[in-house]
Amino acid sequence: MEAQSTSSIEVFFKPRSIAVVGASPTPGRLGYVVVQRLLNRYKKGKVYPVNPKYGEVLGLKCYRSVEEIPGPVDLAVVLVPAPLVPGVVESCVRKGVRGIIIISGGFAETGPEGAKLEEKIRETIRGTGTRVIGPNCIGVLDLHGGMDTFFLPEEKMMRPPPGDIAIISQSGALLSAMLDWAAHMGIGVSKAVSYGNKIDVDEVDMLEYLANDPETRVIVIYVEGLRPGRGKAFIEAVRRIVREKPVIVLKGGRTERGAVAAASHTAALAGSYEVFRAALRQAGAIEAVDVVDVFDLAKALTMQPPARGDRVAVITNAGGPGVMATDALESLGLRVPLLSEELQARLRERFPPFYSVKNPVDVTGGGSNEDYRHAIEVVARSDEVDALLVVALIHPPGFSAELADIIAEATKGTGKPVVAMSFGGGETSVLRGKLEKSGIPVYETVERAARALWALYRYGKVLGVAR
Amino acid sequence: MSVRKIIEEALREGRSKLHEHEAMAVLREYGFPVPEVALARSRDEAVEAAVRIGFPVVLKIVSPSIVHKSDVGGVVLGLETEEQVAEAYDRILANVEKHAPGAEVVGVLVQRMVPKGLEVIVGATRDPIFDAVVMFGLGGIFVEVLRDVSFRVTPVSKEEAFEMLGEIKASRLLDGYRGMPPRDKDALADIIVKVSRLMDEVKEIKELDMNPIMSYEKGAAVADARIIVDGRS
Repeated sequence: MEAQSTSSIEVFFKPRSIAVVGASPTPGRLGYVVVQRLLNRYKKGKVYPVNPKYGEVLGLKCYRSVEEIPGPVDLAVVLVPAPLVPGVVESCVRKGVRGIIIISGGFAETGPEGAKLEEKIRETIRGTGTRVIGPNCIGVLDLHGGMDTFFLPEEKMMRPPPGDIAIISQSGALLSAMLDWAAHMGIGVSKAVSYGNKIDVDEVDMLEYLANDPETRVIVIYVEGLRPGRGKAFIEAVRRIVREKPVIVLKGGRTERGAVAAASHTAALAGSYEVFRAALRQAGAIEAVDVVDVFDLAKALTMQPPARGDRVAVITNAGGPGVMATDALESLGLRVPLLSEELQARLRERFPPFYSVKNPVDVTGGGSNEDYRHAIEVVARSDEVDALLVVALIHPPGFSAELADIIAEATKGTGKPVVAMSFGGGETSVLRGKLEKSGIPVYETVERAARALWALYRYGKVLGVAR
Repeated sequence: MSVRKIIEEALREGRSKLHEHEAMAVLREYGFPVPEVALARSRDEAVEAAVRIGFPVVLKIVSPSIVHKSDVGGVVLGLETEEQVAEAYDRILANVEKHAPGAEVVGVLVQRMVPKGLEVIVGATRDPIFDAVVMFGLGGIFVEVLRDVSFRVTPVSKEEAFEMLGEIKASRLLDGYRGMPPRDKDALADIIVKVSRLMDEVKEIKELDMNPIMSYEKGAAVADARIIVDGRS
């Protein structure tokens, strides 16, 4: 069952032949952009424009229908108006097309007429083995393999570099914005899928597929609602997958409440979001609070190992951020324990008396890069903490961008997650770049860095490696 | 009477809410810590039931048309003697006659009075997406005002049930606070797991509230239960 659904999704990312139904020779039109992008980006399959109105699109012969195409067609990308789509789907099924991405809108989201069209499509594909993504979606983007049905031109939506974060989203618009922003921030993405009205392929199918995708190490999912009755399958899928890779969920529609006609306390209190949250927790998913948080957490989970406990050491050279980091960590349920006398004494061996060695360890603005090395080496190698939050404000004279290398060296081989907070421009941007290059995620506020450690701790709990 | 029979009878009579003695019988069959109850249809039956069950007892009106029993004077607590039970029986019927005239009266429930404990709520409902969901919270203002509750989708394991106990903001009260003893969390977790099983096995149950459950240093007791059923499952 699982193996079958996995292979049935594969065709959306690795088709050997693609029909673009509703192709257009007019630059700027959807049917033009999709053909153009596939030609430019996807090298592993033939592209066939389909549109009875034209003889040629972008130099390729344009076919009157999918069935007229000589040779097999693996995937069809459908851009024609909604009322024509059921006919196209029938034609695809007759042709033996294995995957159909329906980009067109005008279905259930517009009312009962549109819902009828969806029902017709569902009826057509039933029992055929043909899978459908959409309608009302922007399809798939594979940054490693090149598949790209996103009709947004690159100048409007930059494509992120190939990476290991997969994003699946019920909202195409949000997904485009997230990808554009990820590209801008240089955050790598493996695959992105917008599945719209999900008349067939839904988040559970996509999760199962991405769980086995070697290019994906973290799965991000934006979801507004699941299909009725699909909840327990979702929990089961996520629960299986999180053993292999973390799943970050951003939930839209958090304030919406369930039906109010409730005769009991329980029913009155069981709003859909409260229940959804409980389900996420049970499944072992990590809940993000907004799109920036999504990437903050994804970055931490791809770069750092899960935490084996909730004890965090804060290493800082500034008092204020040290206090704020402690506040942020504690409010997320993590601990910033007082270090033992013995460990404090070892820190003191090389520190002047005015450094604080209790935790946070504060080497003060008068300290230096090398003080960080000593602090991190002593603390990270002790068994008193499970994770490190390093505040690296290199503005005073004793510090420089080289601090990045020192942090990376000093934490290496400890198996404990480390995240950094650094804020500023100039040399700080050099430091930030160097840190992330060595695999240490950097955040602009201690609160965001604390969230990152919280996610690493949560994932440690999910894996059963954290106390 | 078996769970199946009780529910079938209610549905046949067109009732979606089980009478309290029926709800208690369902819970008893699933091994919940419920007090002994009996339905009395006359004063003599009430006295007889009280003697059989043992004092102290509580009397509660059983009527499908009365939602808030105490608002109509339909509940009398702490009855210690046969005379008190007889008097309370008459008083309840008179109160109902006065405050809810015309209400259909099935009888009066005689229930062994459970000792006061820390009041908690365990309930369940069916979510359109996740189906059965179990809720835990502390009684009174904690649930009604602060909405301090935790949820899990069924099936709920014992471990998850313990997580639910720890997740509410007021969970420290369960550990003992200001001279109050720690509560038997194992007994509460056991109730949560049983609710999960009941909801998964009996699809006709749409909503369930045990409010309050008295939580003790050792054990717990369901003081009041409400079960809503639906034939379309």
